Amino acid sequence: MTLNVCSAAVRADGLSRRYGSTLALDEVDLTLERGITGLLGPNGAGKTTLLSILATVSEPDAGRVSAFGLDPRDGAERVEIRRRLGYLPQELGYYRHFTVAGFLDYVAILKEITDRRRRAEEVARVLAAVGLERRARTRIRALSGGLRQRLGIAQALLGQPDLLILDEPTAGLDPEQRLRFRELLSGLPGDPVIVLSTHQADDIAAICPKVVVLLQGRVRFAGTPAELAATATARVWAGDQRNAGAHLSWRGGDNRWRHIGDQPPPGAEPVTPTVEDGYLLLSQAASEQ
Amino acid sequence: MTSREGGPAISDADSAVASHDPAGLPAPSRAPRMRTVLALAKVEASFLVRSLLVVAGLLAGGAVVWVTIGSKEPLWWNVGWRIGAGQLVIGMAVLAAAQLAVGRARRNGMTDLYASFPATAGTRTLAHLVGLAGAAPASLLLIAAADAVVQLRGAIGAPSIAVLVGGLLLVIAAGAAGTAIGTRFPHPMAGVLGALVLFLSSGQSHLPGAAELWLYPWESFSDQLGGLPGPLAGYPPAAPHAVELAGLAALAGVVALAVTVTSTRARGGLAAAGTVAIAVICLAGAVQVRPIPTGDLNQLVNEVADPGSAQRCTTASQVRYCLYPRFGSLLPSLEAPVSEVLALLPARPAQPLTVRQVVYLSLPDSTLTHGHLNRDVSRWTARVQQAPGNATVTPATAIYLPVGNWPAAGGQLADAHFDLALATAEWAVRLLGPSGSLSGGGGMPCVPLNQAREPVAIWLAILATHPPAGELQDGLGVGTTIPAAVVRNTAIRGWDYPGVGGGYVTPPGGGPQTTAAGYLLASAMTRLPQQKVSHILADDWGKWLNWHTTDAQLAAALGIPMPSVSTLPAPANGPEAALCTT
Repeated sequence: MTLNVCSAAVRADGLSRRYGSTLALDEVDLTLERGITGLLGPNGAGKTTLLSILATVSEPDAGRVSAFGLDPRDGAERVEIRRRLGYLPQELGYYRHFTVAGFLDYVAILKEITDRRRRAEEVARVLAAVGLERRARTRIRALSGGLRQRLGIAQALLGQPDLLILDEPTAGLDPEQRLRFRELLSGLPGDPVIVLSTHQADDIAAICPKVVVLLQGRVRFAGTPAELAATATARVWAGDQRNAGAHLSWRGGDNRWRHIGDQPPPGAEPVTPTVEDGYLLLSQAASEQ
Repeated sequence: MTSREGGPAISDADSAVASHDPAGLPAPSRAPRMRTVLALAKVEASFLVRSLLVVAGLLAGGAVVWVTIGSKEPLWWNVGWRIGAGQLVIGMAVLAAAQLAVGRARRNGMTDLYASFPATAGTRTLAHLVGLAGAAPASLLLIAAADAVVQLRGAIGAPSIAVLVGGLLLVIAAGAAGTAIGTRFPHPMAGVLGALVLFLSSGQSHLPGAAELWLYPWESFSDQLGGLPGPLAGYPPAAPHAVELAGLAALAGVVALAVTVTSTRARGGLAAAGTVAIAVICLAGAVQVRPIPTGDLNQLVNEVADPGSAQRCTTASQVRYCLYPRFGSLLPSLEAPVSEVLALLPARPAQPLTVRQVVYLSLPDSTLTHGHLNRDVSRWTARVQQAPGNATVTPATAIYLPVGNWPAAGGQLADAHFDLALATAEWAVRLLGPSGSLSGGGGMPCVPLNQAREPVAIWLAILATHPPAGELQDGLGVGTTIPAAVVRNTAIRGWDYPGVGGGYVTPPGGGPQTTAAGYLLASAMTRLPQQKVSHILADDWGKWLNWHTTDAQLAAALGIPMPSVSTLPAPANGPEAALCTT
């Protein structure tokens, strides 16, 4: 499935990647344009593998990627892609004895920002962006998990990248931090290409104009959040009782049961589907295949 | 999952994309790769400067230098290599710190993030290598501190730049080795093991016993060259060793970079650099194991066997002081105690005293004589065995001072002054000399048992140098540390004078074995008015020098009771010493 967009900045064609007997990616085609694209999928769907290939960190067994017209298989062009890249891996280690500012300064050099003044300005900018400016002198070992995650986002923002790849950036963030993160991404200058993977469908709904659902190594949906939600139109109901015949049935915060299925449960009323409903329906369908 | 973690080869990435932007995007303002290397190196260097490991290495290295230099007269041709021993300790710390720095990303789970940066693994490794400059301050600080201490203690000779630079290069080479290890093995133990190997490689340098010992990373204790009266030109071979260390540093750098490059061109370049480094190491090694020229060894043996041929002699108060050319500054320190004793003497022996520097040199020594004919080695060995420093017989008119053993300052200098004063006093009372010292069996010192001249000599030495009373008293020993000698199957309680084991005056033990009775009577004499004692001694000086005149006679003449000396248990079948009878 190909996302039809104009002026595609990043393109993946027929990406496949296998780990032993496990097929992590199965002929994935993807086209990303400027703006935020959310990547939804359960654990093991291949999100991290796909993002690491897009970040030029790993190579596909088959297929090819291009970013801004550059081919990462070519050493020089790969470096050029990396010069335009900000990447937050899913599991990021830290130099615990570094200070927050020292760590960012070090990463800035690795991103080839060698002018000291510019580096200092850039570090100050990203610290302010993630709200860590008061922690600049704090050792990383003294930071909580959420603060470290913000530091990880900050390092990805260094150098104002054209391509920002964030693997589960909101993991570990509290609700207020997540809101601030959404705000941050929405306000990034330069209109970069942003890909973020998450389990949080509401994050996608809130900030991503586009969403890609990856299930079992394949792209199952690519479109807008509204289109994803629309896939569940007339498939979601709310009622007072559990429905054993539904694909999925769970009790919400309002103490009412929400059902996704093919038939309305007795006494239940149809409700407007959400992005999460659409995603869950796709997941259910994929698992039944 | 990471592949091509380092990205492209060091040399080809930047140039290829300098003006290439297929997407038509404005190219970000980026620094050339070398600027990235330098910026990163600056950070890594600052880490190294502040590294606790390196600071600890500096302190430990300083302690090694302090201990190995000791308080002996600092001879630069010896001290320079001892400073290098301290550099070896710093090098071990730098090796471990460099390995930790290079393996940092892998240990902290940042491999994927690093792989997304435009700075390649090659760039980073090169930066780590350049950042080893951060180890230089510790190395230079050690040199500066040691230099200050050595100068303060009255340095003899001049420092060898090649030796000092060699120490610095040792530290850098160790860091490069740590970098090479870290690129392959990020676990901290790898660096510890590397440091251990470096230590063992130098700690075992005595094993080959030939010129190969110069090839070890650092050697400073296994040769005899540090105890010579001057540097032996070109040996130890400092300059080629420094070149060897530079070659090793370069080779380690090549090994470190080899794992990070992928392009054929870069690999070829590294292979060429590695080949050059190996060639340099081999060449420097070959130069180091060249035999010492025959002429130099002839001259060395001559200077050792016949010190007079090389020494300059000065006569002061009818005493000849014969010192090797670089040691003229020692003269005042030697003159003071001798003159003080002379001033107290009622009369001097007919034969004048000579105070002479001597050299201990042990031949054959394959480190020094390898590559030479056995005939020459035998000739040198025979000559050296007759050298005053190696002789077991001390002339009655000479005091020998081993080169390099005279203390520079502090309590040990006071002890050395006392020893020299005592030897002078023993010369004055005829206790010094071959017939006395060797009249016992097996070269053991003779014992002036119940001879009045012994307390007289000790009294003279005490008055000349005024050592602390407590230190003198300590020489009596307690419990199992009581010094003793066996004369005529009787255990005689001895007395160890201050600095007896210091080897300031030679041959050690060649003078008489001082007795507790002699010291105690001398101590009692110091409590009498000096004029009274001097008057009684001067009245019949010849009598007091006679070995038949007893302690009791001296005590009676002075009007003091004989000090009591506790008896010692009957000895087992130990070696017997003889009475001093000259």
